Order: sequence, then C-alpha cells, then structure tokens
Amino acid sequence: MTDADEALAFDRVALTGTPGTGKTTVAEQVGDRLGIPVHHLNDLIREEGLHEGEDEQRGSLVADFDAIEAYLGDWSGLLDSHLAHHFEADAAVVLRCHPDELEARLRDRDEPEAKIAENAESEALDIVLSEAVRAYGDGNVYEIDTTDRPVEAVVDDVLAVLRGEREPSAGTVDFTGAL
Amino acid sequence: MSESESTADGDKWGIAHVFASFNNTLITVTDATGAETVAKSSGGTVVKQNRDEASPYAAMQMAEAVVDDVKAAGIGGVHVRVRGPGGNETKSPGPGAQATIRALARAGLEIGRIEDVTPLPHDGTRAAKKNRL
Ligand SMILES: Nc1ncnc2c1ncn2[C@@H]1O[C@H](COP(=O)(O)OP(=O)(O)O)[C@@H](O)[C@H]1O
Ligand SMILES: [Mg+2]
Repeated sequence: MTDADEALAFDRVALTGTPGTGKTTVAEQVGDRLGIPVHHLNDLIREEGLHEGEDEQRGSLVADFDAIEAYLGDWSGLLDSHLAHHFEADAAVVLRCHPDELEARLRDRDEPEAKIAENAESEALDIVLSEAVRAYGDGNVYEIDTTDRPVEAVVDDVLAVLRGEREPSAGTVDFTGAL
Repeated sequence: MSESESTADGDKWGIAHVFASFNNTLITVTDATGAETVAKSSGGTVVKQNRDEASPYAAMQMAEAVVDDVKAAGIGGVHVRVRGPGGNETKSPGPGAQATIRALARAGLEIGRIEDVTPLPHDGTRAAKKNRL
C-alpha cells in the first residue's frame, strides 16, 4: 500500500544515527510508503566524489561538507546517513540501538571488528544524538529507540514524525552501561 | 613525561578515563597500562531538566568518590582520556568532562596529559575532524 501524495509535516528530514541503527533499511520502506525521494548520502559521497580523501585506518572517505551541500542543492525527502544531521533539514530523526545489539547487527553485516567497536562506543556515548541536538536544537530532534524492535515498528515511528504525529525527544535512552 | 615516571610526590601515574554522554558522566581510573581498574564511579546521571547545572555537580561528586581509592593504590597523578561530547552544551570535551578534571585536581591528584579520544562514527565515510563538535 502506498500513501503517496499525503500532506507531510516536513519537507526535508535528516535520518541519522550510528551506523547499524537501521537508517538505510527504514529509509527505503518509508520512502516507498510515502512516495518521497530517499538520498543515500554515503553512496553519493563515494559515487560522486564528494570527499577530501581517505582515512585509510578507518577505510572511510572524509566527507567534503561544502561539496555535499552544493550537490544536494534544493533536496527534499529523506537524507539517509550517519552524517545527515550535519546538513540543513526541517527535522532530524535519530535512530538509536543498544551497543550490544548494534555490534551484533554490524557483525552480521561482516564489518571489521575495529569498525564495530568504534561505532558501538560512539552509540554508547550518544555522539550522533549530541551532534544532532547541537545542530538542530532539541525541539527539532526525534529520537527513536530501535533496540529489540521489528523494522516495521521503527518505520511506523518515522512515519509518525513525518506526519506530525510525534513529539520531539532527545536523551530518552542511556546506553552508558555498555561502556 | 613518560607514564612509567613518578609524579612530583613520588607516586605512580594512573589513567582517568572520563566518559561523557548526553546525560551521563562516568569515570574509571586504571593503572598506567590501562589493564587494572583501580576505581570506578558511574551513575552521574543527571536529571533531564537540570542537565546544565547538575552535570558539573555530578562530576565533582564522582571525582570525590574515586579519589580515595586512587590514592590508596599509590597513584598520585592521572593522565586524562576524555571520550564523548557530553551534555547538551556540547563543547568538547563537555562540561561534565571539564568539571571532572577540575574536581580530580581539587581532590589532590596531579593532572598529566589530557587527551580527547572520542570515537568517530564511520561507515565507509566519516566527518572531517574539523567538523567535530
Ligand atoms: N529494527 C531493526 N531490528 C533488527 N535489525 C535491524 C533493524 N533495522 C535494521 N536492522 C538490520 O541491521 C543491519 C543494519 O541496518 P542498516 O539499515 O544497514 O543500518 P544503517 O543504514 O543505519 O547503517 C541490517 O542488517 C538490518 O537488516
Ligand atoms: Mg546505511
């Protein structure tokens, strides 16, 4: 079923969160349901060369924020990336996941152990959430805990944000017990 | 200044690991190798509404809670490793972290090197460090 053409509360939403929290999975489904564009920023950075070289130790391209902004231009829909909150949008959705489950998800994705560990620690320390609140203010951030929840439930939560049916929230989980 | 050298008082150096999350601050003090935990204080949980005021206060309480155990282990000074932006006033290393360092010094520990070892979320791409908060 598609709910395309319904009026939404936000035109542009940054869908952010530590790698492994489920952004790409959820973005695809929300995009299909609402018939809105989904921009997978990590792919764009690689394919369009929107970077300033490589961090070889992390196997990661260093994003060029100015080049990304110029490339995105007047975008609408969902911006999917752990870097999405660094760019202007009407709201930021931050997906969260307990670090133990995050590690399991990243291990299933066959990621290297060093990458799993650094992302899990980032999630335990609320790095992305803190950056999103700093950039957007806590009135424009919607934190969604995905731990132990099916993808469909998370999709419903993100749909609720886009439909203006959910209140902003930040700091609703505390994963420091995993440190 | 190597980590095997003694502090001015002839005591050993340790490492204070400060973890500052959005609404919590934790501190773990280890020996200079990082292998043995000497003292730990968690639960500087800050009530949401009072995060700004409570963060330095919680940090101070935690520093006071660990310092006796640290001194009892023969450690007179600590190198500090800070992780996390901390708090909603996210100026790295965060008010919680800064308050913790001040409180450790006030409690009589010598402060050595202070390093920011905040992890970087990455997934085939990452932010430039100059973009870090
Ligand atoms: N709510 C969820 N519950 C369980 N597993 C999930 C959930 N959302 C995503 N996953 C799984 O976790 C992994 C990471 O999801 P992905 O969408 O690639 O995350 P991200 O884009 O945030 O890095 C995938 O294997 C995906 O199937
Ligand atoms: Mg993804």
